[in-house]
Amino acid sequence: MSTFLEPADPAPTAAERLHIAGLHSPSDAVLSVRDLNVSFNSENGAVHAVRGVNFDLMPGKTLGIVGESGSGKSVTSLAIMGLLPATAEISGSVRLKGKELLGLSDKAMCAYRGNDIAMVFQDPLSSLTPVYTVGTQITEALTIHNPGMSKAAKETRAVELLAMVGIPSPRNRLRAFPHEFSGGMRQRVMIAIAIANNPRVLIADEPTTALDVTIQAQVLEVLHTAQEETGAAVVMITHDLGVVAGIADDIMVMYAGKPVETGSVDDIYYDPRMPYTMGLLGAVPRVDVAEKSSLVPIDGIPPNLLHTPTGCSFAPRCPLVTDACLDGEPALSPVPGTGYHQAACIKSGSLGGDVDVHEIFSAPPVPVSRFDLIPRGDRSTVLELKDVRKHFPLTKGALLKRRIGTVKAVDGLSFDIREGECFSIVGESGSGKTTTLLEIMEFHKDQDGEVIIGGISNKQAADAKTKSAMRREMQMVFQDPTGALDPRFTVYEVLAEPLQNAGLSKRAIKKRIMELMNLVGLQPDHVNRFPNQFSGGQRQRVGIARALAVNPKLVVLDEPVSALDVSVQAGVINLLDKLRAELGLSYLMVAHDLSVVRHISNRVAVMYLGKIVEIGEVDRVFDNPRHPYTRALLSAIPVPDPQFERTRERIILQGDLPSPLDAPKGCNFATRCPVFAALPAAKQEHCLTLEPPLEAVQPSAAVEILEAGPAPTPDQRFACFFPDGELDEHMLVVHETAEPHAP
Amino acid sequence: MTNLNAVDPAAVAQDAHLENADVVIAKSTIIFRRFMRNKTAVAGLAVFLGLTLFSFVGGFFTPWDKETIDPFNIGMPPSGDHFLGTSQAGIDLYAMTVEGTRISIMIGLIVGLVSVLVAAVYGCTMAYFGGKVDKVMLFVLEALIMMPALLVVAVATSGGGDGLKKNLPSWLLLIIVLLVFSWMGTARLIRSMSMSLMQRDFVKAAQYMGVPPRRIVWRHLVPNIGSLLVLDITRGVTGAILAEVAFSFIGIGIKVPDISLGVLIGGATSQVQTFPWMFWVPLTVMFLLTGSLAMMNDGLRDAFDPSSSSVGRAKKNSAEKKSK
Repeated sequence: MSTFLEPADPAPTAAERLHIAGLHSPSDAVLSVRDLNVSFNSENGAVHAVRGVNFDLMPGKTLGIVGESGSGKSVTSLAIMGLLPATAEISGSVRLKGKELLGLSDKAMCAYRGNDIAMVFQDPLSSLTPVYTVGTQITEALTIHNPGMSKAAKETRAVELLAMVGIPSPRNRLRAFPHEFSGGMRQRVMIAIAIANNPRVLIADEPTTALDVTIQAQVLEVLHTAQEETGAAVVMITHDLGVVAGIADDIMVMYAGKPVETGSVDDIYYDPRMPYTMGLLGAVPRVDVAEKSSLVPIDGIPPNLLHTPTGCSFAPRCPLVTDACLDGEPALSPVPGTGYHQAACIKSGSLGGDVDVHEIFSAPPVPVSRFDLIPRGDRSTVLELKDVRKHFPLTKGALLKRRIGTVKAVDGLSFDIREGECFSIVGESGSGKTTTLLEIMEFHKDQDGEVIIGGISNKQAADAKTKSAMRREMQMVFQDPTGALDPRFTVYEVLAEPLQNAGLSKRAIKKRIMELMNLVGLQPDHVNRFPNQFSGGQRQRVGIARALAVNPKLVVLDEPVSALDVSVQAGVINLLDKLRAELGLSYLMVAHDLSVVRHISNRVAVMYLGKIVEIGEVDRVFDNPRHPYTRALLSAIPVPDPQFERTRERIILQGDLPSPLDAPKGCNFATRCPVFAALPAAKQEHCLTLEPPLEAVQPSAAVEILEAGPAPTPDQRFACFFPDGELDEHMLVVHETAEPHAP
Repeated sequence: MTNLNAVDPAAVAQDAHLENADVVIAKSTIIFRRFMRNKTAVAGLAVFLGLTLFSFVGGFFTPWDKETIDPFNIGMPPSGDHFLGTSQAGIDLYAMTVEGTRISIMIGLIVGLVSVLVAAVYGCTMAYFGGKVDKVMLFVLEALIMMPALLVVAVATSGGGDGLKKNLPSWLLLIIVLLVFSWMGTARLIRSMSMSLMQRDFVKAAQYMGVPPRRIVWRHLVPNIGSLLVLDITRGVTGAILAEVAFSFIGIGIKVPDISLGVLIGGATSQVQTFPWMFWVPLTVMFLLTGSLAMMNDGLRDAFDPSSSSVGRAKKNSAEKKSK
C-alpha cells in the first residue's frame, strides 16, 4: 500500500514556487502568510472568501486587519489556526517560524495551537466552558502542551497568569466558575489561557467588540501588557478603526477577500491611497470633534465573491471609478515615493494626503431642521419623564422567597425631550438605559413615576383609546435589524402592519408604503422582498420606515447602528439626521458608542447604576465633562488617529459595575471613582455617606466677566461633590510621552 | 420631501447586485435542494413513497385477498401461486401484507398529522393566554403524560369499549386512543417555542405598534414554528406506526379480521421455526417503513432548520472553472 507515491499535495508546491519566485518570507518573521486562498460552497456556488492574502509578522509587532464584515478577516485567521471546516478549500502557504502549517492534519495542528499560536475569540460569554472552573481551564491549556509539568507548578503559573491579566485575588478566583465573572473578566481569562504557553503569535478576532467601552479600554490594556510580557506578535482583527489606531504597528485593509492597502499605521491613517480606506476613515464619527459635518457613506455593498471580479473589486462603489479601473483587478503595488506602503489602486500615486474625502464621496450636506432656529425653551415637549423608578426585588430561596435586596434599575429619572431634538442616553451595560426605554415603551398607569407622551400622562392611560393615541406618538427602531423583522413577512407586509392597525384603507396603505420606501432610500419595487434578501443597512432602513409609518413625533432608537458596519452605519446615521431635519422628528436614543452619540444628538444624559450623573447639551458635556465617570467614559473611546491615541491620557476604571447589593450608600460611583481614590479620608467619608444631587454647572468667573454680568446658566448638570479633584494616578495610562512636534 | 431621493445611488447599486438572478433563491428551492443533498433522506423518501404505492396497487397483482382461504396451499412457503407463501390457515401472505401496510401507513399518517395539529393549537393557546390558563392547561397536559397509555389502550380495545367496538372498526379505535396520548410532548415544545418567540424583537415591535395579541399569535407565531411542525409530523408518523405494531404485537391493538403489520408479526412469532416467511416478511416491511421515515427525518432537519450547515463541499477547481 504505502509503496505508492503519495499524490503531490498542491499546497507545498505552490509555496515552493513562491519561494523560488523570491516571495519567500524574511527569515526573522514569526508568521508569514503567502497567497492564502479560501473558498466555501454555498447554495449559489463556490464563494471565494479569501483571495491571495500575504503578510509577514515580525516578533513583538502588531498587525491590524480591518475591513467590513464579509471581507475575509475572520476566515483568514481561522485558516491560519486550521479551524475552518473540512468542507472549505484552502491553498497557499502559512509558515510559522518557517514551518508550513497548511495541509497539516488536525492532530498535527494541535501541537501548534495554544502553544506557538493562540487565539482570543470575540464572544467571551461563550468561549469558556461553563461546567469547569477557570483554574481547570487554564491548567488544561498548560497540561496539553507541558505533560511533564507538576501540579503545583501549573497552579503557580495559573495564578501568575491571572495576576498578569489583572484579576484581583487570583489564587481564590482559580476555583471560580465562568458565570461568576463578568464579560470583561472572562475576556481577561481568555487572554490568560491564550498566553499560557508563551505563544509566538496571538490572534485576536474582534476581542473587544462585545464589551463596553470602559471594559474595552481595560482589555486592550491587558492585551498590551500580555504582548509586552510574552513578546508575542499579535494579529488584531477588527472593524473598528479606532481600536487598532492605538495598538497596531501595521495595518492591512481587506476588501472582498483581498488586501487592498497595507502599510504602517501612520501611512494608513494619515496618507490613505485607496478610496476604500479613505471612505472607511471618513465614515467613522469622531468623539473628539465638535464641528458638525456629514459622515461619508460608502454606497453599495461588497461584491459577490461567487464570481471572480473582472476589474477592481471596489469599482462599483468607488466614486473615482474610470474605465481603466474595470480592466483587470489591480494588484497590491508600492505607493510611489514611500517605503513599504502598498495599495491596490491604479490611482494610488495621485491620491495624496490633501484629498478631501467628503468631496470624493460626495457626502450630503448637513441637514438643518426648522426647529434648530427656535430656542429650546419655546419648543413643545414631546416626552417628559418625572421621577420614574423601576426597582426589582432580589429574592433568595426556592420555596420561600426572601427579599434580600433591591436592584434599582432605574432610580428617579427625570428629563424631557423637545420637538426636533435628539436626546441620547449613554452608559455601560447595566446602567439602566434599556430599562428606561422599556419603562417608556411599556407605559401603564401603575408605574412608579410619570411618563408624559405628547401631553398625555401615563396616569390617564386607562382605556385602550388613550393608550393607542399615546402609542401613535412614538415608535421604536430596534438594535438588531434582523431580529426586528419577521422573517416570514415581505417588506410590504412589514410596513402594512402598523397602517392596518391604524385602520387605513388598502389604497391609502399602498400609497403610504411607496412614500415610506422613498423616504428611507429604498427601491419601491423592493416591497415584495423578504428581509433576508436585504443587507443589514437596508434592513435597518426598513425598520426605520416601519417606525415612521404612522407619523410619530418621537422615535425611540435602541442602539440603531451598533449592529451595522462602519460604512453602512454612516449611511443610516446620515438618514436619521436628514429625517429629523425634514420631518421635524424627535429622537430618544440609547447607544454605547459615544462617537455616534456626539455626532447625532443635541443633548445627552450619562447614566450610572440607574441614575443620571451628568446631563446637558452634547458639546458642553463632551468638551467639558464635569463628572469623573463622564471623563472616564470619554477617555476610553478609541479615536481613529494613531498619533493622538498614543499620546493621550486614559482613565482606566478599575473593575466592573458593582453588584447592586454592594452599591454604596452615598455616591454610586465611589467604588470605581478615580477622583475618590485620590481624596483624603475626610472627603471620602463625605462621598460615601451623602448622595450628590444633580446640580447645574455655574458659569465660571471668566465667562461672567466676558459677558459683562451674570451669564445664563449653561445647559449642563452633574452629580459630583468634587469634580475638580485630582485623579488617582494608578488609573491613568499613557503609552508614549507626547512628542514636541506632535499635532 | 425635497432631496430625499439623494440616497438612491446606494439602493440602485444594491438593487443591481440583488438583481443577479442567482443571488435571490426562493426559500422552497433552498429547502428542496438541501433535502436532495442528503442522499439518505432521498432514498428514505423513495422507499416510503414506494411502500405507499405498493399498499394501494399491490392488491391488483394477485388474485387472492386477505380473507380467501386456499385449501390446497396451507402453510406453504413462497411459490408461483402465492408470491410470499400462505399462512397456516391458507390465506395469501402477499394480500395480507398489502392490506396490513395500508392500515399501518394510514394509522401513522392520521395520528402524526392530527396530533401535531392538536399540539400546535393547544401549545400556542397556552403561550398566548399565559397565567392561569397556562397553568390549568399545563396541568391537564401533565396528567395525560402520566396516564398509563398501555392500560387505556388495552381497556378500550378489548373489555371496556364494547359499545365503541360495535360501531367502529378496531383500527379507527386505535387511532383515537393513540391520538389522545401522542400530542403532549409536542404541545409542550410548541408552548416553549412560542413563548421564546414572544420575546423576539419583531413581536415586541408589533406590540409597541399596538397590534392586538390574537393577531400577533396568528400572524407572527404560528408561521414561525412551521418548520418545527413539519419535523414533528414525520416523527409522529414513525411513533404511531411503531406504537400500532407494538400494541398489536401484544394483542391489544388491531383485532382480527382487521389486519396490520403488527397483527401479522404478532401472530407469527410463535411459528418462526415452522413458517419463517410469515414472520420475516411483515417485519421487513415494517422496518422499511419506519426506517425510511427515520432516514427522511435527518434530511428534513437539514432542509428546514435555518441554522443548518448543509451547503455541500467546496469543489476543487470550481473557482477556476468559473473564471474560464
